[in-house]
Amino acid sequence: MAAFGRVLLRSRQNLCLRWSSSTVEAARPAAATPDITESMQEQKSRRKSRRFISPEFIIPRGMRADFPTKNHVERMDMLRRRAVIDIPEFYVGSILSVLTSDPYAPGSFQQFVGICIKRGGYGLGATFTLRNVINGQGIEICYELYNPTINQVQVLKLQKSVDPHMVYLRDALPEYSTIDFNLAPVQHNPEDPVPVLDTKVILKPPPWYWRWERVELQGIDMEHMKENHLSQKRLDKMDDHRKPWMEFDLMYEYDTTKVEQDVLKDMRYFENVVRRKEETSEKSTEEEET
Amino acid sequence: MRLSLMLLITHGKRQRKLGGGKPQRLNILRRVVTGLVRHERIESTYAQCDEAQFYAEKLIDYAKLGNTNAGAMRIADYWITEKDLIPKLFETLAPRFTNYDGRYCRLHRLPVTTQNTRDMAVLEYKGNPYPSLRPTPKNHPNSIANILVEGLRQDYEKKMEIDLKEESAT
Repeated sequence: MAAFGRVLLRSRQNLCLRWSSSTVEAARPAAATPDITESMQEQKSRRKSRRFISPEFIIPRGMRADFPTKNHVERMDMLRRRAVIDIPEFYVGSILSVLTSDPYAPGSFQQFVGICIKRGGYGLGATFTLRNVINGQGIEICYELYNPTINQVQVLKLQKSVDPHMVYLRDALPEYSTIDFNLAPVQHNPEDPVPVLDTKVILKPPPWYWRWERVELQGIDMEHMKENHLSQKRLDKMDDHRKPWMEFDLMYEYDTTKVEQDVLKDMRYFENVVRRKEETSEKSTEEEET
Repeated sequence: MRLSLMLLITHGKRQRKLGGGKPQRLNILRRVVTGLVRHERIESTYAQCDEAQFYAEKLIDYAKLGNTNAGAMRIADYWITEKDLIPKLFETLAPRFTNYDGRYCRLHRLPVTTQNTRDMAVLEYKGNPYPSLRPTPKNHPNSIANILVEGLRQDYEKKMEIDLKEESAT
């Protein structure tokens, strides 16, 4: 069966996030899967054979996608940074710990631990936002993946959220966002599929950051929300904002197989050609000095 | 449907607004695509045909997955409003395009006259049974280009004969 690497790109209007890579779901939508039920073994072998490509490498169609030279050069810079520091595989919902250099205390590092609520941007400007609640105060820090002042990015717990972003944690009870700074890293076998974080989150009473009853997100406890927090007027207007046609609007499906092939080609080129060149040039400069 | 360089011209707008609103737009395009699947050549406004072309081609891509595929059947069920055409899509149209890789439709613009100023167009699936709308260029043997090519071919053959004779002589 033809295996499209289909990715569902939600519209900007739907989630009001500008060109966010959070909105690009890496999972294949249920619509296009073949009707053979995949066993655990097949999932494992698929994970082994498919090399993980971080979502900021996959640039959406449109203005930026048609400049192959710029994309290639940017990818090379991204791979150069990745050769220096290990930026691990993580998803929205994973718990990360980040060490950044402190400009006012050279040599020491600042640590922040949090749950990743969204990933934004593409290319070198790709970002991720970590959220934590410290002393009763909710704090979110937005880090750039390729920022040279970041010393270490460590995944303490690898898990995937059901939604493309978890901004609703701002309006949820603080227990869902509090993460202990000394959390022990949870080992994850690279061959196993990534565990899915499917806790239904209970929200605080409104006002909210967003009208969560109108957005179709699986991570929110809808029953609790409808019973406790919503006025009749809001409940009546809720169904007007459902968009059942979006599932069938074929324009929003992004077949990323070609882009992924380009990215893999660049990765292989970088590993084989560019790194060897840089190593040999380093060796020759060392020889000149001695 | 504008996805790549055209986005620069349209300032980021990907879709035309047809029928006043998002659900209406897809309903109109569904009707156009269903008509196209039934008749394989339809005439409509240029805007509707241009938008429907994208969806008609994607529908064929899905149909190629086969009618046992649950996802493909769901999409076909939505897009084709007259349900007697779903077997036609999977059994007639999808096998026709097995060797094609994308461009399954042709879009012709019809002339705009002072009497009929509406921008109309014809959208058709390739391989349809009707005679073609554009005249096929015939390869006339007495056209000047063909005469010159024929002369060149004869000169070349004579030259090869002479070369062979020289080689056999030496």
